[in-house]
Amino acid sequence: MRKATSLRISVSGVRGVVGESLTPQLASKFAQAFGTYLGSGNVIVGQDSRKSGTMVRKAVLSGLLSLGCKPVEIGICPIPSIQVLTKQSKAIGAIAVTASHNPKEWNGLKFINKEGLFLNYHQVDEFLDIYHQGEFSLVEVDKYKTPEFKENPTEPHMKKLMSYFNVSLIGQKRFKVAIDCTNGAGAVLAPRYLEELGCEPVLLNCVPDGSFAHHPEPLPENIAGLCRIVVEKGADVGFVQDADADRLAVVNEKGEPLGEELTLALASKYILSQNPGPVVINLSTSRAIDDIAEEFNVPVIRTKIGEINVVEQILSQEEKPAIGGEGNGGVILQDIHPCRDSFTAMGLILEYMAKSGKTISELQESIPRYHMIKEKIQGTQEKAYRIIRQLRKKYSDKGEVSLLDGLKISFKDYWVHIRPSNTEPIIRLIIEAKSRDTAEMMIEFWRKEMSEIVKWK
Amino acid sequence: MKLLKIGISGIRGIVGETIVPELVMDFACAFGTYLDLKKVLVGRDTRISGPMLHEATLSALVSTGCNVFDLGICPTPIIQYMVKHLKAKGAVSITAGHNDLKWNALTFINQDGTYLNMFQGEEVLDIYHLGKFTKVSVDHLGQIESIDDYLDFYFKKLKKFLNTESIKKARFKVVIDPCNGAGAKIIDVFSQQLGFELIPVNNEPNGYFPHDPEPRPRNAQEVASVMKVVNADVGFLLNSDVSRVSLVAENGETLSEEFTLPLIANYYLDRNQGTVVTNHSSSRMIEEVARGKNCPVVKVKVGQSYSIQSLINEDGVLAGEGSGGIAIPEFQSVFDGFLTMGLILEIMAVRKKKVSELIVELPRYHIVKEKIYCPPTKIHSVVNEAKKLYADRDIDSADGIKIEDKDGWIHVRTSATEPMIRVIAEDRSKEKARERVEEVLNFISVLVK
Repeated sequence: MRKATSLRISVSGVRGVVGESLTPQLASKFAQAFGTYLGSGNVIVGQDSRKSGTMVRKAVLSGLLSLGCKPVEIGICPIPSIQVLTKQSKAIGAIAVTASHNPKEWNGLKFINKEGLFLNYHQVDEFLDIYHQGEFSLVEVDKYKTPEFKENPTEPHMKKLMSYFNVSLIGQKRFKVAIDCTNGAGAVLAPRYLEELGCEPVLLNCVPDGSFAHHPEPLPENIAGLCRIVVEKGADVGFVQDADADRLAVVNEKGEPLGEELTLALASKYILSQNPGPVVINLSTSRAIDDIAEEFNVPVIRTKIGEINVVEQILSQEEKPAIGGEGNGGVILQDIHPCRDSFTAMGLILEYMAKSGKTISELQESIPRYHMIKEKIQGTQEKAYRIIRQLRKKYSDKGEVSLLDGLKISFKDYWVHIRPSNTEPIIRLIIEAKSRDTAEMMIEFWRKEMSEIVKWK
Repeated sequence: MKLLKIGISGIRGIVGETIVPELVMDFACAFGTYLDLKKVLVGRDTRISGPMLHEATLSALVSTGCNVFDLGICPTPIIQYMVKHLKAKGAVSITAGHNDLKWNALTFINQDGTYLNMFQGEEVLDIYHLGKFTKVSVDHLGQIESIDDYLDFYFKKLKKFLNTESIKKARFKVVIDPCNGAGAKIIDVFSQQLGFELIPVNNEPNGYFPHDPEPRPRNAQEVASVMKVVNADVGFLLNSDVSRVSLVAENGETLSEEFTLPLIANYYLDRNQGTVVTNHSSSRMIEEVARGKNCPVVKVKVGQSYSIQSLINEDGVLAGEGSGGIAIPEFQSVFDGFLTMGLILEIMAVRKKKVSELIVELPRYHIVKEKIYCPPTKIHSVVNEAKKLYADRDIDSADGIKIEDKDGWIHVRTSATEPMIRVIAEDRSKEKARERVEEVLNFISVLVK
């Protein structure tokens, strides 16, 4: 069997395993392709807290310098803060050295344009053409620039957050908030942000050294530490960010993880109660959002997976969407910045608590209950393709089929979504059902359906 | 054809043409693989392209699992000293020495602080060509430690080696032009340590070279004119990594870089008799000086690596090139501009003589150096063809063509760094030296078209 490759190049950027596929040469060539795509100017270079960050960042700097671009180094910085900074500065783009929630062996590059948005499909295509052609606009020495260091790169983001939220309302409550930054980039901003909101932060894994005390994906099984701290310290709420601080998961005051799907559900419920409007979400996001939208009589628009797809859809809507996001804990609020932002998500949930006077577990009660099971199955794109082709035929008359991204089939009491990951060599299998029993039964069933097609070892 | 020179001691080329991040990384990865997870130093001169090569080198070295001491902007001889001091396995110096700003280079240094020798260099090249570099996983990546208080270690040792007392007492007034290179600002520390009054020119480590960073008379006008105003005792010109020095005498004479080696030999060989190593293109002055002190002379190909290898193999006491690079193993076996300046000051102080008086003591020869462009693909055949000029003469072919007679010599060779043929002649008479060179240039100029 062919081994799954450890390099993924997709709309989410480049990701690879350090020591295998992600070499200095590769990182530098991607930086050169990006610089060639942008033309010369200032390019912001930030990173999450991964231990391989220095190696990758230096390769990126070298690549940018060779094109006459001026790198503006900002060090470890949350992804949403980099995006806001890029938009507000005169930079022509930014490169973030991050592998988001991938395990610590991984690192990668995310490419951001001057609007502070990730490159969309078309832009990625153009950019990859330049990479593959390998013709970069190298300059002579007299056009070389000197790198610059920028202090306080999170300030523009912080200002936006502070002016959006009702700080005095949140502050009156003196919430005790347990925050787990996963030793990621969020640690450079989260403690200060919570203090500015008038909360009392209880810190866990808030040293941004990439040591990743637990797997950097904010799933319930990874956050036992936070759950314990919430109970021990009597916190009102617990938050956990992923390594680059775009996603957020929530723990209630009883120390129970809500499941990452609830983050967007809570945020949407609050936003829609204040300011109804369309909701833009991806194909894998919980049906709970549909139910909430129905409650407020607003439409739901579904997109392909990948943050930029949701963002593009938000920006292209005629009627301004109230909120958007992904079920994986990515909340997008255009008024702050059209990107997934764990800080925005925290602010919304805290303001919801303050305004409603309810606890997290009480708010949780009002969200329609679904059970979602997400599985990762080792496998290549090729395998995913075979599975999707055959199952599509088999089920085309039994449920509502969507081929927008992979294969999604909606049945009356559950749906199934099968698609190759954009960021890792795995196939994702997602089931959501009204009851836990159905969900568990169906995950068994679909795993078997898939394995009959590709015969896993 | 694009310019790139790959040699045993490193790579050199034009930035943006051949010197690009990927090539720098491949070579640094090859060197890191060769070092096998050990400690390595990295430093650079001030060139504008320096950060590009520096970041690429650091990224590549840590990817091979080597821990790096980053010295930032640092003269090569001090990097070479620090390799031994920090007990590292090697170093990379990012500098193109005397070449202009368009150029940059990586020079690889071994654990003894010297350029890689033939065997070491060829091993690195084999790894490069094979392309199989060590890649470590995230937990084994090398760490980078910035080191910035290293000058004390070096200057302490230099002060001990030199007769610092005498130099201090002489209260010299010295003009130094580091050409805004790696020596900039560090010469301030140097002057404090040796207690002379420094009048610096082009002393900003900003990488803008006001003239080619090559120490020789045609670049010395600025130093000469400043010296006149301040009435200085001596002037020094440095190349961009402080491995070469030329002098300006107190009377304003801009001295050929060829004088640096014989001036030092004429003093140092009295104290430490032994073999002297030089190259085939250097002035005959050194041979006469050495003969007068009963010291044998060994001549090798042009290039620091060859001189130093021979110095070590022959157990010599002094090595140097006509271009102004001097190495003394009693201090360290590397071309060291600070040592060179320090020794010149010591000679002036101990012997209580002016530079012009010291020059008069040397046998006077006239050297003429010319170079002519030749396409790289033809360069060796053209040099070979030129042998026809000397059909009846005894040709030394160790490094191109060299013909010697009692009054002087002529040397025709390919440049190690550029697509040029160098023609150098020396004679007791200036006219005759010029004639020797013209004869070759006329012959070659037809062939290179």
